[in-house]
Amino acid sequence: MAAIKLPASSQPGQSGLIGRLANNQVLLGYLFILPSMIGFIVFFALPAIRSVIISFHEWNLLTDAEFVGLANYQDIFSDDRFWRSLQITVTYVMWNIPVQTVLAVVIAVFLERISNSSLLRGIMILPWLMPNVIVAMLFVWLLDPTLGLVNIFLQNIGIGKQAFFGDPNQAIASVAGVNIWRHMGYNAILIYAGLKTIPRSLYEAATVDGANLWEQFWGITLPLLRPVLVFVLVTSVIGSFQIFDTIAVATEGGPAGATRTIIVYIYEQVFERRINMGVATAASVVLFAILITVTIIQTRYLRAGQSDLADYQ
Amino acid sequence: MATLSRTNGTATEIREPKRLNVARIITWIVVGFMVFITLFPFYWVLRTALTDPDFGTLFAHASDLLPTNATLFNFERVLGMIDPSTIVGQESANLSAGTINFWVYLRNSFIVAGLVTFGQTLFSSMAAYAFARFKFPLRDQIFFVYLTGLMIPGIVLFIPNFVLIKQLGLIGTFAGIVAPGFLMSPFAIFFMRQFFISLNKDLEEAAMLDGATAFGVFWRIAIPLMRGPLLTLGLLTFIGAWNEYLWPFLVGRDESVRVLTVALNVFKSQTPQGAPDWAGLMAGTTVSIVPTILLFIFFGRRVVDSIQFSGFK
Amino acid sequence: MKRRFSVLLFVLVALLALAVSVSAQDSVTIRYQLWDTSQLPPYQQCADAFQAANPGITIAIEQLSWDDYWTGISTGFISGTAPDVFTNHLAKYPEFVALEQLVDIQPLVERDGVPTDIYYPGLADLWVKDGQRYGLPKDWDTVALVYNKAMVEAAGIDPASLNELTWNLEDGGTFMQTIAALTIDANGNNALSPDFDKSNVVQYGYIPDGMGGAYGQTQWSAYTASLGWTFNEGPWATSYNYDDQRFIDTIQWWADLALEYGYSPAFSDITSLGAGSLFQAGQGAMTQNGSWMIGYFLSSEFEVGFARLPAGPEGRKSMFNGLADSIWVGTQHLEESWAWVKFLASAECQNFVGASGVVFPAIPEAAAMSQQMRADAGVDVSAFVDQANEEGGTFLFPIADYAGEISTIMNEAMDAISLGQAKAADILPAANAEINDLF
Repeated sequence: MAAIKLPASSQPGQSGLIGRLANNQVLLGYLFILPSMIGFIVFFALPAIRSVIISFHEWNLLTDAEFVGLANYQDIFSDDRFWRSLQITVTYVMWNIPVQTVLAVVIAVFLERISNSSLLRGIMILPWLMPNVIVAMLFVWLLDPTLGLVNIFLQNIGIGKQAFFGDPNQAIASVAGVNIWRHMGYNAILIYAGLKTIPRSLYEAATVDGANLWEQFWGITLPLLRPVLVFVLVTSVIGSFQIFDTIAVATEGGPAGATRTIIVYIYEQVFERRINMGVATAASVVLFAILITVTIIQTRYLRAGQSDLADYQ
Repeated sequence: MATLSRTNGTATEIREPKRLNVARIITWIVVGFMVFITLFPFYWVLRTALTDPDFGTLFAHASDLLPTNATLFNFERVLGMIDPSTIVGQESANLSAGTINFWVYLRNSFIVAGLVTFGQTLFSSMAAYAFARFKFPLRDQIFFVYLTGLMIPGIVLFIPNFVLIKQLGLIGTFAGIVAPGFLMSPFAIFFMRQFFISLNKDLEEAAMLDGATAFGVFWRIAIPLMRGPLLTLGLLTFIGAWNEYLWPFLVGRDESVRVLTVALNVFKSQTPQGAPDWAGLMAGTTVSIVPTILLFIFFGRRVVDSIQFSGFK
Repeated sequence: MKRRFSVLLFVLVALLALAVSVSAQDSVTIRYQLWDTSQLPPYQQCADAFQAANPGITIAIEQLSWDDYWTGISTGFISGTAPDVFTNHLAKYPEFVALEQLVDIQPLVERDGVPTDIYYPGLADLWVKDGQRYGLPKDWDTVALVYNKAMVEAAGIDPASLNELTWNLEDGGTFMQTIAALTIDANGNNALSPDFDKSNVVQYGYIPDGMGGAYGQTQWSAYTASLGWTFNEGPWATSYNYDDQRFIDTIQWWADLALEYGYSPAFSDITSLGAGSLFQAGQGAMTQNGSWMIGYFLSSEFEVGFARLPAGPEGRKSMFNGLADSIWVGTQHLEESWAWVKFLASAECQNFVGASGVVFPAIPEAAAMSQQMRADAGVDVSAFVDQANEEGGTFLFPIADYAGEISTIMNEAMDAISLGQAKAADILPAANAEINDLF
């Protein structure tokens, strides 16, 4: 972005007003990020660093901590439940992200290019307005094998009753389905906001050149949507790896451990066991490392910091 | 497609709208289906909220599409129009006897969500602007470190944060509930940065050349241009804060600062294998999402319509 | 832009003003927590009576739903914000003792000469470890059969005869015959008929309350106990008997009620909304549950009765569970908290609870009031009370360390058995070994 059509103002070494402004950027930059920096250090960085330290201790937060070196890490790496929880988490992400993102893009494009009805936009965001704990309870009710309306409907049309949350083979996909329901409209609105930043003139020019809607989507919409799409993908993948609320309500990690994702595993260490803070934080550090890796790959691959829009202007 | 290639220009002009119509019909069917999937669970919330709350009735008529023995009783309970201690008897064992001070909790929810939205949106936008526009040492590194804030499992953060809030003496205060989200959220910074990157610099540079200060440019030029994304972010932040559960549950359980989502707790399962007070819970849910729906109706149109960038194109 | 800025400022100031206007007041207040809203009214009566007698103390009752209750207690311990006094559960308290979070009230009991023998036998002792006492009993519960009167009568069975059912591992006794007779397929055949189609059942004979995890309180524990099996060698034992052949066979039988016989709905159909809701929806003729669920079942649209558990080779056995009120070590007002706990455990308070009928208080006279309250309303709950009063009719909830870990291990194993993924004989020994390794 810096290479394109940058006027002299951003080039250091210039004299007078321009140069002074450019030099001020350092001070200004720090000034602008100062409030957020305080919030970040106090509520994110310090607790996170403390967590890393705790992960080398055996500690229940109440009695004295005992330094145990890497023992907590050895514990989780030799725990089959931990490895299984990683595998379940990845399965969940694989169900959740592709379906949710594709649906969100389709809905957003539809809302922007075809309908433009604010009523439809309002409807699509509705599921996100419901707290996720309530959403989970509602779906437990709707998907119940015997009393749930969905199953009564499935039986009537001859598909037959599905256990959904109660079947180890369906449970994780069912949880993914519930979260897709809640989040697709939300992501669609974010993507929609991104679509609105694409200048209409580009489509007009493309139409004049004879490109159809499909070609316009691949040639203009998708490339120019990249910053927003990266944002949606990065945040929803991170969120998806940390799936917890729906499972806590709907399956509590069951049946037979089929929905024990990594956060459920961590939660169990703290609240279902004797506040195994060391093990819980060690597992969190591992999850953190995984997420960092995934995010770096995503941002590198998708060139998050750049916009193709500049190329068109 | 083969026929299309043989036709000349005039023929295509006639065929084009016809082909589009078929596509449109299919699209609208798909959209109709999506709207149904999106809205039906809401209908079910309302239907359950209007149903006779006795479990006997609720479970014996689980598949009735209309409320069984339709009643406003549940809404009266939620709005505090009925003294709950009078409804406890053997015939209503599943009904919650918890009190709901509805209007107090509503006010509290507005205070919490309002403060979080204001602080988080303002300070995150400032930081996002700095990351997108200013050049200063470690800029990209700091941004990436901020991003990692998203990747720290919430469960690892909330225990130390909870202890910190306790040490600051802020348990049971609005300040304690609001604090972690007031100064920043990695999500908000990431979100705004992606939009600032897409924003054309011409206007800002022109203003700078006219002698405006950097904060002036940010406040008078960049922010107005970002009206749409800002409103979107503000709305999303507000709704997210409105629906927050675990944190306000831990920090703000006192009557004077209890928010609506926490208050709904009285309708959840009372015993280990027990079922929640479904009808009461659904009535409570309905009432608690009405404000956010109203907000969305009121601002939603402006949110999306203002992302037109009329100011700089 | 200026105007907009001032509007924003105004909104912020208004919000802050609202925030400040809500101020907290200070007084000697004892915070007391419980999870069941239906017990809120009688305990509020207790609090009112207590405050009238102790003008210096205010009781603030906080009620939280079951799941959030324990999260709140744990985080409260960590941050120093736990309630002064709270309702405690036998499955949770060993962990709290290990974390050193409960006040040993034995010295106070001795100092004030508080009688601990006025309760149902055994209840007070559940809360003692190594001579230290961590709570005073408030109530108890037992388990009984619950039946849909119309369905039972339609099968030509006298509801009164349900009190005389027998059970054994070999042929299931009259219990199995009865639930078979109550299981009806779409063609109207019951499960005793050779034409019975177990893939198309419209009315189940018996709806188990799930697989029961590590304790099977309202599920299999009545049956395993009637074979003479015990969880462990008594309170604070350090090994479990989940690998005992009697236990393994009973669990397999329990799972086979659905998997093999078709007398029960699939366990995956029961887990989400629970056996109670299926029963109330008219899906089955009988179920089994604890006495705290009496009111729940009475809200059914049809007439419901309660019957004694089936008698096994070693007799009729119900798990006997009891709650108590404990004091948190972090309380700033130990004496006031103790006064409140003493009052909660007294006849005066337990009579309020008994009169409400919601649970059976720990003091027998107060429990009798609860039974009488139901009887006055035309409901016979003697199946629960007789079980508690019978010599050898009850066994205690197993108290031991690592309850959370044990639950995690057993829930997984039990789920796998109930889903037909594994046989009880194949996985329970391994699960038991994993549990015994914890200690």
